Amino acid sequence: MSHLRVRTRKGDGGIFVVYVDGYLNSLLGEEMERAVYGVVDAGGAGVVLNFEGTKLINSIGISFVIGIVERMRERNSTLAFCSLSRINQELFQMTGVSRYVRLFDTEEEALVFLAQSV
Amino acid sequence: MRLLWSHGAEFSFRPGEFFGRGEELSALLRVCLEGKSGIGASVLIYGPPNIGKTSLLLKLKLELQSLPETSAPPCPFPFYYSFSKILSHPLALSQHFLQEYLWQLLVFLGESPPASFDLEALCENLGARGHMECRDFMSAHRRYSEKGDGLSALANAFSFPFATGGNLWYPVFLFDDIQYTIKLQNISDGAIFSILRPYIKSGHFPMIVSGSSPGHVTSSLKREGLYGSFQLVEVGGLSPAASVKAWVPLFERRKIRMPEHLMGRAAARLGHVPIYQRMFAEEVSFRNGQMEDEVGFENLYALSVTEGKLNRYWREFFENAIPDRVNRARAIKFLKRVICDQFPIDTFEGAFSLMGISPEEGGEILSALEFKGLLKSDFEHIQFIRDPVLADFLYWAFERGVLGKNTPQVAASIVQSKISRAPLEEGREEHEKSAGVAKEMMRRWDCREVPALLFDFGRFREKFRGKGLLEIVIGLEGDPGKVKLPKISSVSTGYRALRGGSRFDFDLVAYGFREGDFSEENLVIWAVDVHTEKTIASAAVEHFENRCRLLSLEKGLKPGQLAKWILFEGAADPSVVDLTARYGIHLTHRTQMRLFLNLFGMEELEKGQEETRPPEPRGGEKPLEFELVLPMKADTEVVAARVAEEVAAYASLDKDTVDRIKMAIIEACINAFEHSGSQTGKVRLRYILSPEQIELFVQDDGKGFRPSKGDDDAKRHRGWGLKLISELVDDVDITTGEHGTTVRMVKHLRSGHGEGSTTSNDEGQ
Repeated sequence: MSHLRVRTRKGDGGIFVVYVDGYLNSLLGEEMERAVYGVVDAGGAGVVLNFEGTKLINSIGISFVIGIVERMRERNSTLAFCSLSRINQELFQMTGVSRYVRLFDTEEEALVFLAQSV
Repeated sequence: MRLLWSHGAEFSFRPGEFFGRGEELSALLRVCLEGKSGIGASVLIYGPPNIGKTSLLLKLKLELQSLPETSAPPCPFPFYYSFSKILSHPLALSQHFLQEYLWQLLVFLGESPPASFDLEALCENLGARGHMECRDFMSAHRRYSEKGDGLSALANAFSFPFATGGNLWYPVFLFDDIQYTIKLQNISDGAIFSILRPYIKSGHFPMIVSGSSPGHVTSSLKREGLYGSFQLVEVGGLSPAASVKAWVPLFERRKIRMPEHLMGRAAARLGHVPIYQRMFAEEVSFRNGQMEDEVGFENLYALSVTEGKLNRYWREFFENAIPDRVNRARAIKFLKRVICDQFPIDTFEGAFSLMGISPEEGGEILSALEFKGLLKSDFEHIQFIRDPVLADFLYWAFERGVLGKNTPQVAASIVQSKISRAPLEEGREEHEKSAGVAKEMMRRWDCREVPALLFDFGRFREKFRGKGLLEIVIGLEGDPGKVKLPKISSVSTGYRALRGGSRFDFDLVAYGFREGDFSEENLVIWAVDVHTEKTIASAAVEHFENRCRLLSLEKGLKPGQLAKWILFEGAADPSVVDLTARYGIHLTHRTQMRLFLNLFGMEELEKGQEETRPPEPRGGEKPLEFELVLPMKADTEVVAARVAEEVAAYASLDKDTVDRIKMAIIEACINAFEHSGSQTGKVRLRYILSPEQIELFVQDDGKGFRPSKGDDDAKRHRGWGLKLISELVDDVDITTGEHGTTVRMVKHLRSGHGEGSTTSNDEGQ
């Protein structure tokens, strides 16, 4: 039922885009966590999480997102989110995630932002 | 303390369940009684494990004990001793042997043996009866033991003065599991026989030796020059008649019913081996299964043999018979296909290729299974492919790669023949449409009463053959037979159990509740198959019935909890109609279906259009209510969200509102799954839609949300669930009682359409 799909794309300047597709529950959350930490461990300069294909997020999924945000702040890595649906944007506002991460409408905008701040 | 292992076999022996073996018993009895006149012989009983050798020895012991008092002395003292693999040290063995011998002798002599199972005390008791030699003997044994001299202790124990009975009694040795004596530490193979040699040769001490590894035993007998003194008796399965008789007490004890005509088949299936029969009876009783006919029996048998979690007994069998793990797994998988799915195999080559195995390995596996009687009848009535249902299954299995990597030629050719059968494929779309319409209608049943004739094609045809539509409608209304339909809570297409296989492959499976009351007792499951072929084959009905029974067996359904329904469009042979009637399957033809659909305001499918949505609720209309039962399983909350979406679509709500409702319901479900500690593992949802609001109820039967205490999950969660819900909907209240927790969530819709939410911007509808 859940579509376990996380893909990673390497962009310019050591910036990676991680695409999270499907229902962001604990399974997909773990997958996402692994992908992001994999990128960071491999020396990625920054990560854009692209939520365009994320159809639903539940609270467990959100807690994974929060975990990633905290971890990235600890390591001073740069993180940005993009292509959130309205409801997902709202969820990130309700849970306070959006106070710590910049949200962008498109992947291009996020990449431009990261390229400047890295 | 008395050691239990040799006693274990005696305790589990049920004389009432001992059948057949008449010839063997009388031969053995004769041998034992001849010990009296010094012409007693020794016998080696051999046969595969679990065949019933121990039972035979114990039965013999009983017979010897219950000889008529009138016979002149000396009388036989049957001494049953089972060598155990645990006693591989000669000191331990000698000690245990003596304990057993003295203990059984005391019992034989009518003494009550001492409570403590202690050699000294036993000796005292015997001494009190005048068996003084016992003491000297024992002191020698103690000396060897203290010195750790195993061989001497063993020689001592087995050269016990067995002849102390004089003219009153003589011992008959019933030695079980003799194969373990060849594994004694630091003692050569035939040592025990060598020690016992004078007794064996004397003819006064008959010895019945039993073991499942006759090769080893005979070779050590040969080495000791004793082979000629032993007669050999092979123990195999019972005679068919005896094994049929064996069912009677087995079933009586467990209150299992089996029609008499099935007993022969059942006994043959289990290789006429009593212990298998007993295990099978236990399995049936454990499952509370019924065996009214062949199908019932075969299903239970197949389950008992091939269940994913094999029961202890079958597991042991497979482990013994097929030591290699990979081959064992293949054998089990293979059996599943052959037995459960009635997979046709016309040649042994076919069987090997099905197992994905070389002929050498395959030969071994097949002979192991054949010995067990697991394959016999399958190879007997092997029939090949002409059966459409089997072909369907094969195709299904092939498509999903269930057949393994080395897809056998057999399957490939079937698949080809199936693919080349164009008409069936053409009917595919039609088939799906029919199933879709039935699904939609079932959702609308809602406890209505409908004429029973709609489910009974036989009577329907009889009554209305050649009649006009109006006549039929009037006739239907006038017919007294009615069926009360359940309230359907969910219908799924192509239901399959996790364990795979075609066993549960129905076109539709619906969960519903009688009287609309959502309780466990009222749960009914409707299994539905749709046939769009020109004629419906009896094999298809058999196959359907088979799957239904497996389903109800696996789900533990009570009679009446499973409704079976076949929808068909073509012709039906009277024998097929009879068959469905016999199995209690509802049979509905397209003509009946049209009338049925009509009752629920639905049209036939030829129009080809999507079914129309009911009109949107307007002010003052009754609220629409939907219900859903969810199993507490990962991700099923998505189903609840989907239903919410569908419900919301009735009110044409804007996307944002729908998304919020979905999120809220997901969170409520997850909370129920994680914190309720429910027994039934179900969550009930109700969606009530009115022009003013949408009301959602998520109800579990657990103990209420327990504030979590720092466990991992809770940390992950950080209590977001309830917080999010309160953000997402307008009102939340949670009531927790004895019978569980209900979360009620309300989203106001204000103007009734769309503008209800805070952000009513309708982008991306």
